[in-house]
Amino acid sequence: MSGDETGILLLSLKVAFAGLAASLPPGIAIAFVLARKRFPGKTLFDAFVHLPLVLPPVVVGYVLLVLFGTQGPIGRLLEPLGIVFAFRWTGAALAAAIMGFPLLVRAIRLSIEAVDPRIELAARTLGASRTRVFFTVTLPLSISGIATGGLLSFARALGEFGATITFVSNIPGETRTLPLAIYSFTQVPGGDAQAMRLALFSVALSLAALAFSEWLVRRSPASGHHA
Amino acid sequence: MRHLLAALLCLTLAPAAHAQSALVFAAASLKEALDEVASTFAMGRAGRVDVSYAASSALARQIERGAPADIFISADTDWIDYVEQRGLAAPGTRRNLLANDLVLIAPAASQVRVKLAPGVDLAAALGKGRLAMADPESVPAGKYGRAALTSLGAWKGVEGRVAPSETVRAALALVARGEAPLGVVYRTDALAEKGVRIVDAFPAASHPPIVYPVVLLKRSSSPVARAFEGYLASPDARAIFERHGFRMP
Amino acid sequence: MLEVDVVVPRGTFRLEAAFSSDAPIVALFGRSGSGKTTLVNAIAGIVRPQRGRIVIGERVLFDSARGIDLVPEKRRVGYVFQDALLFPHLSVRANLAYGEGLTPPAERFVDGERVLALLGIRELLDRNPASLSGGEKQRVAIGRALMASPRILLLDEPLASLDGARKAEILAYIELLRDELRLPMVYVSHALEEVTRLADRVVVIAEGRVIAEGPAAQALSRADMGALTGRFDEGAVIEARVATHDAGFELTTLAFAGGELVVPNLDALPGEPVRVRVRARDVSLALARPSGITIQNVLEGNVVSIGHEFGAIVDVTVRIGDTGLTARITRKAASDLALAPGSRVFAMVKAVSIDRRSVGFA
Repeated sequence: MSGDETGILLLSLKVAFAGLAASLPPGIAIAFVLARKRFPGKTLFDAFVHLPLVLPPVVVGYVLLVLFGTQGPIGRLLEPLGIVFAFRWTGAALAAAIMGFPLLVRAIRLSIEAVDPRIELAARTLGASRTRVFFTVTLPLSISGIATGGLLSFARALGEFGATITFVSNIPGETRTLPLAIYSFTQVPGGDAQAMRLALFSVALSLAALAFSEWLVRRSPASGHHA
Repeated sequence: MRHLLAALLCLTLAPAAHAQSALVFAAASLKEALDEVASTFAMGRAGRVDVSYAASSALARQIERGAPADIFISADTDWIDYVEQRGLAAPGTRRNLLANDLVLIAPAASQVRVKLAPGVDLAAALGKGRLAMADPESVPAGKYGRAALTSLGAWKGVEGRVAPSETVRAALALVARGEAPLGVVYRTDALAEKGVRIVDAFPAASHPPIVYPVVLLKRSSSPVARAFEGYLASPDARAIFERHGFRMP
Repeated sequence: MLEVDVVVPRGTFRLEAAFSSDAPIVALFGRSGSGKTTLVNAIAGIVRPQRGRIVIGERVLFDSARGIDLVPEKRRVGYVFQDALLFPHLSVRANLAYGEGLTPPAERFVDGERVLALLGIRELLDRNPASLSGGEKQRVAIGRALMASPRILLLDEPLASLDGARKAEILAYIELLRDELRLPMVYVSHALEEVTRLADRVVVIAEGRVIAEGPAAQALSRADMGALTGRFDEGAVIEARVATHDAGFELTTLAFAGGELVVPNLDALPGEPVRVRVRARDVSLALARPSGITIQNVLEGNVVSIGHEFGAIVDVTVRIGDTGLTARITRKAASDLALAPGSRVFAMVKAVSIDRRSVGFA
């Protein structure tokens, strides 16, 4: 692998992992709310969470540009805090996180719904507060959903193109992730071979992520799914 | 039964229907002008012209992969050469259709002043921002831009500060939104977008001439396509192009 | 002292119940859907009553008038569920320790070793809940609830998902706990057999209301028990005391307010109080004291009333001294014998029909 290619690979991994790490806490929280709570407007909220799944990625990228760009309301708010998304790998991570979010939430939600709420009640009668129940009972029993959701979101992040290029453009070393790099190579006459190499790396990465996710699920004690 | 007949009828008519339309692949920077030319052509004529706009690089690849285009208008010679080398162009149909200029733009509200001459310090003018341009490695507008900046001795200074977009129009949008303080686009693009102002024009000598070659594709069998290709050089069409800021080559 | 007085609307159903008890075990008895689970859920804090009051000793768990509603984790109410509900991702040991760890050391009074011994679960400590049998799961569930040092233990149909042999086994453990630990228990069940075996005090619930409350024999002797217990089980509960044992024939004689009952050998000391359930279908009637028959128990008494609910069959209530008994016979038989309120009859109960499962120790 050439130095350039290593750089692209590492950047992609950095972006995908950062996106995953940033989306896990809100993903778990929202999945829990959707799984367990009832409130007015819940259907609307659920639909909103799924938007990145149904909107064209370029549209999502554009919305991110409008909101988080240097001229955007949120972008301007965060800039003095040192958080910048425009034209930076953090923006690519944000795009990746947003695009993968519906997949993450769906998988985790299904997994939480499969946890018998009466087990949570049993824990409460034993003296556990709601928070403690969540962390000691609900979460461990939903591990397989979190692993699956994480994998889907990570894989989506690795393949994210439209939103990324629209939001943070195709800056080598900064936002040129694997898909963008592959695209760039296909745009140059004679770049096919390199594009293919990078595509193979993508496949290898996805397989590795899949294997890891499987291992994680297998490692967790009794899956918690009841007869 | 009736529905079956209708369906069969549609099928037999389909090839005939194709003969009544033409598919044009054109560089993104031609959008407004070419749309107008196409609709003027279609008025009072039986036949439709559909235009697909994208980066010339993307279009050439699609043609190579068998896209059913009749006409290809590229924003530089490289990609027409590409198509010709692969034997996809109808021999003898290539000519230079239009010419364009390269300009430096800024958001309409910006007060920045830059003189594009050898030794210009573009990096200073950029400040903390980035230079929006089409991808300098593959998109014609970007390639011209890099050539111009290199000849002015400014490329090294801004190379690491570029925000490469898929098309020149995407770069235009970034500047219009104020996301990038400066951008490199065609004059015709700058004129089409009210949200930007032209800071200065790149000297013609700093880059290879920007020409738009057009070619009829070998696979085309559409009489409408032939007619349209001829129409592109007509006085009516020329007037429209010039109104949008293009020059004749 | 447990005091409960609540109103809980649940969809189309409305529970309005009040009872109190300081017995070692109080049973909440009634059909499925009568509201008994809702009642214990209210005690545990899982369900919030619309209004009312729940008090254990001096500790107020719920009082709508004063705006008190303790969250479940603060109530120190142990709960054993019908299907154990062990934490599948934790070992048995961790399950047991879960509640214990959450109890402030000052409030821990349960001796862990003793619980392990009483329930016989020491050898299960390193096992996983998924690998346990139904009975083992239930024992661990009881242990888990106990290890949190609860002030009261609620058991909601803990035997419902077990088979016959397991039922008997766990029932024995619960009896043991009742006798060995000084921990008040509330036992919910629709099985008359379990209730009469375990509880001194019974609260009968039907359609969201308490229709009887008091010592077991009393609360369960009402004529409308049939709707609650199911026709097969209907009968009377008699309070008696162990009188003598016949070592040779392995029989035990029980003395009650109307006479004596002979039953197969009971493992009990003379003088011990017991509750005996006599099913109506096991009682026959005669106009004269029969001779030359195998039936050991022939009790003289008078007909109190004759029910006319079922086609071919009638229930005849008979008074034996101070005790009531029900006999289920054919309407034809009642007619042939010209039975009427006041008729002098002899009620006959096969000793064999009163087995170990029909006897509860007070």
